[in-house]
Amino acid sequence: MGDSDYSFSLTTFSPSGKLVQIEYALNAVAAGATSLGIRAKNGVVIATEKRMPSILMESHTLEKIAFLSDTTGMVYSGMGPDSRVLLRKARKFAQTYYQTYKEPMPVVQLVRETAFVMQEFTQSGGVRPFGVSLLIAGYDEQGPHLYQVDPSGSFFAWKASAIGKNMVNAKTFLEKRYSDDMEIEDAVHTAILTLKEGFEGQITEHNIEIGQVTDNQKFKVLSPLEVKDYLDEVE
Amino acid sequence: MGDSILTYNGGCVLAMAGDNCVAIAADRRFGVQQTTIGTDTTRIFKINDRLMLGLTGLRTDVTTLYNRFVQRLNLYRLREEREIKPASFANMVASTLYSRRFSPYFVEPVVAGLTEKGEPYLCAQDLLGAPLFAEDFVVSGTCAESLYGTSETFWKPNLSPAELFEVTSQSLLAAVDRDCLSGWGAIVHMITLNGIETKVLKARMD
Amino acid sequence: MSQFNGADGGFQFDLLERNERLKEKGYQVPVARKTGTTIVGLVFRDGVVLGADTRATSDTTVFDKNCEKIHYIAPNIYCCGAGTAADTENTTALVSSQLELHRLNSGRESRVTTALTLLKRMLFRYQGYVSAALVLGGVDFYGPHLYTVYPHGSTDRLPFVTMGSGSLAAMSVFESKYMDDMSREEAEKLVYEAISAGIYNDLGSGGNVDLCVITRGQTEYLRGYAKENERKFRKPQGYSFPIGTTSILSSRFERSFVPTPFVSDPENSSTMAVD
Repeated sequence: MGDSDYSFSLTTFSPSGKLVQIEYALNAVAAGATSLGIRAKNGVVIATEKRMPSILMESHTLEKIAFLSDTTGMVYSGMGPDSRVLLRKARKFAQTYYQTYKEPMPVVQLVRETAFVMQEFTQSGGVRPFGVSLLIAGYDEQGPHLYQVDPSGSFFAWKASAIGKNMVNAKTFLEKRYSDDMEIEDAVHTAILTLKEGFEGQITEHNIEIGQVTDNQKFKVLSPLEVKDYLDEVE
Repeated sequence: MGDSILTYNGGCVLAMAGDNCVAIAADRRFGVQQTTIGTDTTRIFKINDRLMLGLTGLRTDVTTLYNRFVQRLNLYRLREEREIKPASFANMVASTLYSRRFSPYFVEPVVAGLTEKGEPYLCAQDLLGAPLFAEDFVVSGTCAESLYGTSETFWKPNLSPAELFEVTSQSLLAAVDRDCLSGWGAIVHMITLNGIETKVLKARMD
Repeated sequence: MSQFNGADGGFQFDLLERNERLKEKGYQVPVARKTGTTIVGLVFRDGVVLGADTRATSDTTVFDKNCEKIHYIAPNIYCCGAGTAADTENTTALVSSQLELHRLNSGRESRVTTALTLLKRMLFRYQGYVSAALVLGGVDFYGPHLYTVYPHGSTDRLPFVTMGSGSLAAMSVFESKYMDDMSREEAEKLVYEAISAGIYNDLGSGGNVDLCVITRGQTEYLRGYAKENERKFRKPQGYSFPIGTTSILSSRFERSFVPTPFVSDPENSSTMAVD
């Protein structure tokens, strides 16, 4: 009996110990546009491709990097609509935490709560796992953080990571380029170079998105103009 | 019996700020209206090495609330793997009290501690959790008015731990002696960066 | 999110029955801390000025001589609160949280009318039992706005408003001196005069004058704009007690930096075992 015989219910293990629906979810992630993140000494950068299915689409209406709170941002690879469900929940977590403790939610706490939601969707009836992996970048009292969360609900802190279509090559590239004393500016350059590696066509300020958080603890999404400046520097 | 339930058991708490130190003090009486039942009551609880919570009001609610806070703090420690900050804890207390806005716990908490930088942190709240922040002193309990009087007179800025101990003790003892519902012993905790020094005072027992 | 709150949000009523019985037995419901309060707002040429006194009272006792009554709603919107302190504090905090979520979801600056609607809907829902009387002011896309919100959820939009127990004193100043198109300096001065009228003529108001000036793209919170009621008399070197004045029965020292053990039994916790 093959694994596919066990795909009728996502909460049923196959004899080999897999939950195939989760693997399918990972396939959905791997089919999504590449996203990556790099944690530098004084900040974190996350970046992603914005792939337009048609040139007729208005590119500025697609926003893949989003704020979770003042200090924390997120990018996804995979199914956009799924990511927005998590986005809404994560934003609410951050607000509830702040209202309870009047202290910004530490990044790891926010990641854990979000990952918990993803786990719930692998063990509940009548639902399917989220078809996204997330990269969450934030800056708190402990410093800069980059986390990756997968459809299974597992999460890890990374120095640099990539998700989506070109993740294997991108990660190899990042492994070569990463250094511990990297500053945020270098990290943005490296992020662009990594995206360039597997990019189909010409990279421009309109088909990538970059978000960063530095030691001022304010997450921001770079404007196309700022992205263009960085692209020119990398040229 | 037109009394407020807040004065049913009696008792008071006073907290004062010094130079890199905070003192929090309370009387030790446990009464039922005019009858004294106990003279070794604890109404100041240790939250962590730099943070204490004083609770005055209805004794049953003091105990219940403290247990709830212990439960939530233990979960907080496991979840966040760190000690809670004074401001965060004070807000946790406030949100717990306000969640019962329409059926309140009859307590008035005092949060006293040192921040990570060693600065004093004082916060008193009413029974609905409205916070009051002070840089000098905060009071709560059946002789709050008297405590305000003595504290306003005796407190001054930049007290050393030894000086602060005397000021806090004398402010408390003087106020407590004018209140039938408080007294019967007193206890003072001195919170410094080195640790918490606890002293039981000799007081009038009438 | 029960792990944060011990509740899933909203109010809990588990103690209601007990508290009602206590009331039947003749134990009055204790009074919560109020802000007797003078709060005002004024529209001027480029924005709004909000003002507040700093006295919080419980019955006739002054409990806080320098409390903050101007609450943050959004970077471009602030709100003065009068009434039960806990209610003004929490109502404004709740609405500021809802607005922040709205900003994150919409990517736009908050509008004053949105804040107003959220506040009045919440207060109306609680039929006046959440006793918050508010002065809401801010500057948004459509310019400066100033509103009052009453505890039952009704609202007014006016160029100058006052609220709280000192509102009559403050309004008398506004009524005699308000002009359209004032400069920022004139507006600040008039708000200061209105709050002062409350501080000096209303017993529920006192302390310092706090101002908040909001103009397009800029907010200035002027805490302690005027401090005319600092303590007047203090013994020059203060009182001091010689070390050792207080007699001690027992003493114990607990060193810090030891991880705090989990306390399971409050009656046997470490702070208990003193004597």
